[in-house]
Amino acid sequence: MNTFVNQFSTHSAVSQLKRAQNLIAADEDEYSDATWGSQAGFGNMIKGTPNFTVPAVPDPAAFLRLHTDDHADPNCRIKIQHGTTTLAFRFQGGVIVAVDSRATAGSYIASGTVKKVIEINPYLLGTMAGGAADCQFWETYLGMHCRLHELRNRERISVSAASKYLSNLVYSYKGMGLSMGTMICGWDKTGPAVFYVDSDGTRLKGDLFSVGSGSTFAYGVLDQGYRWDLTDEEAQELGRRSIFAAGHRDAFSGNTCNLYHVKEDGWKFIGNYDVSTMYYDGPGDVPGAPGGGYGYAIRTEGRSAADPPASS
Amino acid sequence: MSIMDHNGGSVIAMVGKDCVAIASDLRLGNQALGISSNFQRVFGITDRIYLGLPGLATDVNTLRERFRFRVNMYTIKEEREIEPEAFAHLVSSTLYEHRFGPYFIEPVIAGLSKTPTGGIRPFIAATDLIGCINFAKDFVVSGTASSKLFGVAEGLWEPDLEPEDLFETISQTLLNAVDRDAFSGWGAVVHVITKDKVITRKLKARMD
Amino acid sequence: METSFALTGKGYVIVAADTTSARSIVKMKNDEDKIKTVSPHLLMSYSGEPGDTVQFAEYIERNLRLYQIRNLYPLRPSAAASWIRRSLAESLRSRSPYSVNLLVGGYDTSTHEPKLYWIDYLGTVSEVPFAAHGYGSYFVLSLLDRYHDPEAPLEEGLATLKRCIQEVSKRLIVSPEKYKVKVVDKDGVREVEL
Repeated sequence: MNTFVNQFSTHSAVSQLKRAQNLIAADEDEYSDATWGSQAGFGNMIKGTPNFTVPAVPDPAAFLRLHTDDHADPNCRIKIQHGTTTLAFRFQGGVIVAVDSRATAGSYIASGTVKKVIEINPYLLGTMAGGAADCQFWETYLGMHCRLHELRNRERISVSAASKYLSNLVYSYKGMGLSMGTMICGWDKTGPAVFYVDSDGTRLKGDLFSVGSGSTFAYGVLDQGYRWDLTDEEAQELGRRSIFAAGHRDAFSGNTCNLYHVKEDGWKFIGNYDVSTMYYDGPGDVPGAPGGGYGYAIRTEGRSAADPPASS
Repeated sequence: MSIMDHNGGSVIAMVGKDCVAIASDLRLGNQALGISSNFQRVFGITDRIYLGLPGLATDVNTLRERFRFRVNMYTIKEEREIEPEAFAHLVSSTLYEHRFGPYFIEPVIAGLSKTPTGGIRPFIAATDLIGCINFAKDFVVSGTASSKLFGVAEGLWEPDLEPEDLFETISQTLLNAVDRDAFSGWGAVVHVITKDKVITRKLKARMD
Repeated sequence: METSFALTGKGYVIVAADTTSARSIVKMKNDEDKIKTVSPHLLMSYSGEPGDTVQFAEYIERNLRLYQIRNLYPLRPSAAASWIRRSLAESLRSRSPYSVNLLVGGYDTSTHEPKLYWIDYLGTVSEVPFAAHGYGSYFVLSLLDRYHDPEAPLEEGLATLKRCIQEVSKRLIVSPEKYKVKVVDKDGVREVEL
């Protein structure tokens, strides 16, 4: 009877929760084969999806929403990190991943040194927008499963498969308040790849994505400078310049830019650049930078739109 | 989202030894979107009084025009410049006139007032949006970064600072407070009012 | 969605606005001119609440004309922007406020300077080198931070404007297809075909 109801009433939060719990329960019964031979032994996460304590109320998802939705109620006690700018694009020389580092809770800048790129493994990067904890947890968890895939199949997981795994995972929690917008980036047999995955369950393959409150500003610069045959230096510069643009205009983005480049032999951290330093002096001595500050006032200093008639 | 936070911006004023300082950021925003990094919200009222107007930007302009008019009328009628104490009450009563449909501004006033003996005394005050005056002896803050400004100012301010030291104190207070506020920043300006001159400097602030 | 841009260059201001007039989900008209010439060297683009927009624009247009008839000289751009702002700010606290967002671009014939003012329905003014209203502004402002040049000749200014239009049509969900573009410089106002 219960299974019958659960199977067909897919809309209520309660049934969704039950479904998720069943999923967890099913996983708990036995340890996966990989665990038995593992040096790491029986960790608390290897059993599969970990257990979550759920508040003892009729509709836990609604209960959580009541206490976290700060748009409806700015005074609510739990505030989840929201503002961000992240971007990733594919080009001839691999994948560029660039993110800002600001975390805000309401108008308060809670941190300016957040790592929004999650290093899943030497070939995979994930970006973080939306709920910081959600992204961090599930992408780390994804990393674990990517390793298991490697052990089981004696080859690295494709970016497509990894992103699909994450997408399916977050989709199973749909309606329960997960909030993440992420790009899974890497290099596999097919070459450079970027997938956009979010907590609605959307999963998109593409060349160029930007996510977060500052994404529109990043797109404005990114779209205009993007070409497939960008050189490595040009591409890194474009990623940096786009994050700067968003950091400058968007109140909820900024502080610093973290830049990564994924190539055939895995990802490489290129550098950390302060947005304000970029405004006044530029990114410093890096290949591809034009020299001088990115800021509009700095770039156009001494230039005037006035057009006085030539004095005779 | 409060209407007071719509455009962002913050102002702080501090007392020094025979001088006062007032400083503000220069951001004009539209919620999260930055529009201008050169929006003045501190205005000279007389040679010795400055007024900061953080809050809704349209009311910054409206109140600026209103106060200029009222101070001019005062100067003509009284045949003398307005004193900071009188100006504070003028600000207060102008705001209270709109008790049931207020201007969304919480002004900060900084000035030097004349003493009966011919000396000068620093004066600072702030009011809420309907005109309740807060006379302070140390510093006053207002705007979206006010809570952050309080924290930094409590730590940095000390009594009887000379003009240059006061400039340093107020600049560091503003800059560091504003860096923790998403809606303030994008440049800053400081005015130090002394007996014989006003020092106005733009600060190199974070632009994000 | 309604979108308008404006940018200054060497001795001119370009003002561009989309030409759609929408009601609910329907495009009622696709050749609406939403940029008014309010005095010989002054342009004003308007967007916002249907009804309010045209009513307010015509009110401004007629009053600036009246000023010119009475005083022989038109208001200079900064004075006109200041008066327009005040009209909006007073309307904001009235029984039925106008919900109109404006870009006021003009050429000051006394100082030989192009002037551009960003004005929103609250009566907020800001003098800027380039400006935008509507959802388009979220894409275009960063683009202009990167590409705008205050000393660009008209051809370059128009090329930058084309970048803006292209970016908005690429990224905005329901982007306008046609724009009306006008230029004001020392010779007055004229319309430009892109």
